[in-house]
Amino acid sequence: MMNRLKNLPTLRVNTSEKVSVTYRGKQYEGFKGDTVASLLYANGIRIFGRSLKYHRPRGLYSLDGECSNTCMQIDDIPNERAENIPARDGMNIREQNVKGSAEKDMMGFIDKLDWAMPAGFYYHTMHRPAKMWPVAMKQIRKAAGLGTLNQNFNRHERFDEIFPKTEVCVIGGGPAGMAAALEAADKGVRVILLESRPWLGGFYEYRTSVDESGNFLYSKARTLAEKVEAHPDIRVFKHTFMVGAYNNNLITAFQRGGETESFHERYIEIRAQSVVVATGCIERPLIFENNERPGVMQAGCAHRLCRTYGILPGKAAVFSIGHDTGLEAAVDLFDMGLKIACIADLREDGQDPELLEKVKGRKIPYYPGRVATEALGKKRVTGVKVGTIDGTVEETYTCDLVVASAGFTPVTGPITINQGKLKFDEHTGFFLPSVLPDKTHVAGRINGLGNPASIEASGKLAGLRAAAECGKDLTGEIDEAQGELNDLPGPQRGSKFVTGPVSGRKSYICFDEDTTIKNIKQAIRKGFDVPELIKRYTSAGTGPGQGGIPGHNLPLFTAKFKAEENEKIRPTNQRPPLVPLFLSTYAGTNHDMAKRTPMHDRQKKDGGIFRRLGVWRRARYFSNDFSCRKEIENVRNNVGILDGSTLGKFRIHGPDALKALQRVYISNMEKVKQGRVKYTAMCNDDGCVIDDGVITKLAENDYFFTTSTGRAGSTVEWIRYHTRFDGWDFNLVNLTDALGVINLSGPNSRKVIEKVTDQDISDQALPFSGVKEYTISDDIPVTVMRLGFVGELSYELHVPSSYMESAWDLLLEAGKEFHIKNFGVEAQNVLRMEKGHVILGQESEQRTNLTDINMGFLWYRKKKEAKTVGNVALEQTVNDTGRLKLVGIKMKDPSRAPGDGCVIVDDTRVRGYVCTIRKSFSVEGVIGMALVEQPLAKNGTTVFVYEDECKGNLSEAQVVPMPFYDPEGKRMKA
Amino acid sequence: MVDIIRRSPVTFDKRPARVENRHNWNVVTEFADEGEEGPWITDLCHKTRWDVQDGNLMSLNSSDLPIPENYGDCSLSGEMAVNRMNRTQASVWHFSDDAVQMPNQSAYTETTDATVFLALYGKNVFSITEKLTNLDLNGPDKNPPTLVQGPFSHVPCQILVVNKDGEMPGILFTCSRGYARDMVHAVMDAGREFSLKPAGEDRCKQWINQIL
Repeated sequence: MMNRLKNLPTLRVNTSEKVSVTYRGKQYEGFKGDTVASLLYANGIRIFGRSLKYHRPRGLYSLDGECSNTCMQIDDIPNERAENIPARDGMNIREQNVKGSAEKDMMGFIDKLDWAMPAGFYYHTMHRPAKMWPVAMKQIRKAAGLGTLNQNFNRHERFDEIFPKTEVCVIGGGPAGMAAALEAADKGVRVILLESRPWLGGFYEYRTSVDESGNFLYSKARTLAEKVEAHPDIRVFKHTFMVGAYNNNLITAFQRGGETESFHERYIEIRAQSVVVATGCIERPLIFENNERPGVMQAGCAHRLCRTYGILPGKAAVFSIGHDTGLEAAVDLFDMGLKIACIADLREDGQDPELLEKVKGRKIPYYPGRVATEALGKKRVTGVKVGTIDGTVEETYTCDLVVASAGFTPVTGPITINQGKLKFDEHTGFFLPSVLPDKTHVAGRINGLGNPASIEASGKLAGLRAAAECGKDLTGEIDEAQGELNDLPGPQRGSKFVTGPVSGRKSYICFDEDTTIKNIKQAIRKGFDVPELIKRYTSAGTGPGQGGIPGHNLPLFTAKFKAEENEKIRPTNQRPPLVPLFLSTYAGTNHDMAKRTPMHDRQKKDGGIFRRLGVWRRARYFSNDFSCRKEIENVRNNVGILDGSTLGKFRIHGPDALKALQRVYISNMEKVKQGRVKYTAMCNDDGCVIDDGVITKLAENDYFFTTSTGRAGSTVEWIRYHTRFDGWDFNLVNLTDALGVINLSGPNSRKVIEKVTDQDISDQALPFSGVKEYTISDDIPVTVMRLGFVGELSYELHVPSSYMESAWDLLLEAGKEFHIKNFGVEAQNVLRMEKGHVILGQESEQRTNLTDINMGFLWYRKKKEAKTVGNVALEQTVNDTGRLKLVGIKMKDPSRAPGDGCVIVDDTRVRGYVCTIRKSFSVEGVIGMALVEQPLAKNGTTVFVYEDECKGNLSEAQVVPMPFYDPEGKRMKA
Repeated sequence: MVDIIRRSPVTFDKRPARVENRHNWNVVTEFADEGEEGPWITDLCHKTRWDVQDGNLMSLNSSDLPIPENYGDCSLSGEMAVNRMNRTQASVWHFSDDAVQMPNQSAYTETTDATVFLALYGKNVFSITEKLTNLDLNGPDKNPPTLVQGPFSHVPCQILVVNKDGEMPGILFTCSRGYARDMVHAVMDAGREFSLKPAGEDRCKQWINQIL
């Protein structure tokens, strides 16, 4: 490890605690607090990986993850930004996009072939002849992308999520953000502060210059941070990256977990009443030949490497900068031991005279109006050419570090992704917010402010305004704060300088996508002449850096090249996520919330194979024989027990309950009687059946009804919606989960119930369609309905859910001698199909109505008071012959069933489809139900079934009458 | 021989220290290793619950059933919580150990088995809830006891914010019974970093009494 600067008051590494990582099989040591990038840099690693397209060597350029230069594979995870990831003991690090090593990449020769790959070359080459493209595409895909994901890699980390609410959300924990947070919180509102670095302080945090009162900026940052973190109404999220902003100030972010946190990454979704954007600025890259060569870095990067991590970034440097902060960095780094060959300042004037004095005092050669034009050195910087802006003079300097920066540019993503608008400002050279999102305020350097007092005052003002949006009356204080800000220095002068006099062939505007100035010119010449089109044609700004490097340089360069007026300069759009994050982070803890019936565990123990059915988990099979032969035969011959608890169950009561029922049910609900159940259905406005079930009367104006499993969740809303204008007085209670349902089916089912109750269960006492209250084992109240969905003697027992398991056990014990066995949903599906009973959604769809699926017998057309939902549509289709009809079909080949959903065809077109079809063990052959066009619905018609991959060999079937099994219903009425 | 018992849909991965049989329910009054720090989660599924609905709901208001006038308000006592849900509806959660007889009026429906009923209380409770819901249970506009209806771990719930302040903040909440296992799993998972522990009914009673 190279010598590290110690005992600096600005350091964020703990030099007494070492951290060791492995890079390319070799151990490297750093300090606690290092990022992976700073640790490697401190150990002399300069090339972190190779670029996407040309395999150019890439090194440390910024420290905030603005480009993919430091994307590395860390602990098997590709594309981790080494400059953002804290180094931890035992980390295994590898470079990316190399054949060989980052130092010696065998693919490095591609850099010389750039002439063969102009902008958008893959759009207009390799397409002719057409058969060439699939081959070329494969190669391009192979070459594209950074990093390789091991297909067998499993993530073991924990991804968390939180949904905090707040009044004010401040984005950015620099001086303006902290001032805003403190001001708002002092007014009694809750504040959330998001900061992407692992500490607060932002622009102040590493700087040793002083404010008007003589306080070091770093010290001020820490004092402010202490106040913020101690404030009871401010919640600080550090190492947290804002990724999205949406309507009504929904702010999304993610936080990287530290060693003490319980999560690796945490998704944060904040609903705020108002927002303060205090994201400050990033440096706008200076573009020159080889401007991304390892050894070229931004002024802030060089300065922070030294002050935050204790690493002197090089031995001899040339500075090519365009702002006072660059001068400040040069002076400070010189004092820390960096040799500076010269400072080229692209500004002719406007520099801080005090800083110029300091430069002069240190005898650093200083050249205003000059700029770097080319970095020298094959794999890393060995020198740099510096020339005048007009290109008349050029000199070469030997150095191992080029500190380069064209200026600053505001971080406006949080504003633009929430539909804010930007406008170019001549004075600052910034794209400043011209239209802000609702209840959003900006503070600090994003406005072009550079003076510390102004930055803090703008934060204070934004904090007050944000608090006022939350209902606080702060008019006087806001006016005062505005006055205070007006008296302080305003926005600083900036420039829109992007590049000096260069050919542009190796001048990179986008590092991630290897897009050069030459590429931009090529795109413009091809007619892609606005930044949004250039971005798409050249890929500039579409890499993992999310436009961090090309950002505002692209529109500025385009405008310069086209000699456009400032008014016309438009930046490209940014979209969430502003910072890349794992899909696992978005997924969060991702609990799969499903419902289980009271019999879930018991059925699982009994070998139940479960499937998700809507919100429920249901036992579909009880063996690996998915034909369910044994289950079916046991129901037909003995007795089967099925958990039907997922059925929707409701009570409706109140003076107008009957009216509501008449409105939504297609039948005459006046006929519903106590002691009897009535099967009926609900239609939608198109007459399509959307639900069916049974209903019984409990008392006057008091009914109990069931719905299908899938509709239970929306039944209350459905009834309320369709009675919303009537003002009827009725009440609905959802009892779906309150009652479990045991379906006991088979010729022996009555015998089983007889054994658990003393009450009369005979056909006389409880005939078909009867309902009665029973008590089993003296304790368990049960409502027993006699129904026949599966075509056998069947009972539906509605049991309080908490008693379900006991009731089930009693029935199993009683049924032992009758060979009682579980049957699942698939067996029930086959049994009811044999009986010709429909399942909605399986034998019905949006084109079919009540009469199409043979349920017209339920339709009562003479209701007086309530206009039944679907009635009008049904009336209109009574004589319509062009509709699908539900029919029974029998396959000619009895050995195998085609799949559900297979289409029925003739020579030219589709004539219908198979709804459900199975090999029947109760009725010989393969039988099913199909929806076919009316001309095919006649019994005896031959139809042809087209199966996937049948290669034109259609299967023959015949339309046959239904029900297939026990057509007279003797068994279920026995 | 089949034991006739009523079963709660809630199970915790902890050993009960004391269990009491009450009206066919096996009620855990204390778990092993409950600790003294909290936060805790307690299964209250055995507590009687009713749905009360009527077009003129306030006509049912009495000292036995103090129905709050405003939606979202709750009448909380050591005996019960009466939560006003909307214009026509209130939910009633009884805390009594004794069997409670439901009035023989059509407005009442027994809903004890319709929902899972849980108490979540002790320190960091709202740090747990914010991992499961975007409802602002701890907002400055909430004056406990107050009823909040909305998604909790994506499931529609009735959440009674019982206490926001001090050492013993907490909520009582119900959701459809079928979600019991996944809801408990989600809450326990969210509470893991705060050492959330299952606690018996006794500790929950202490908490409610402490607040009242």
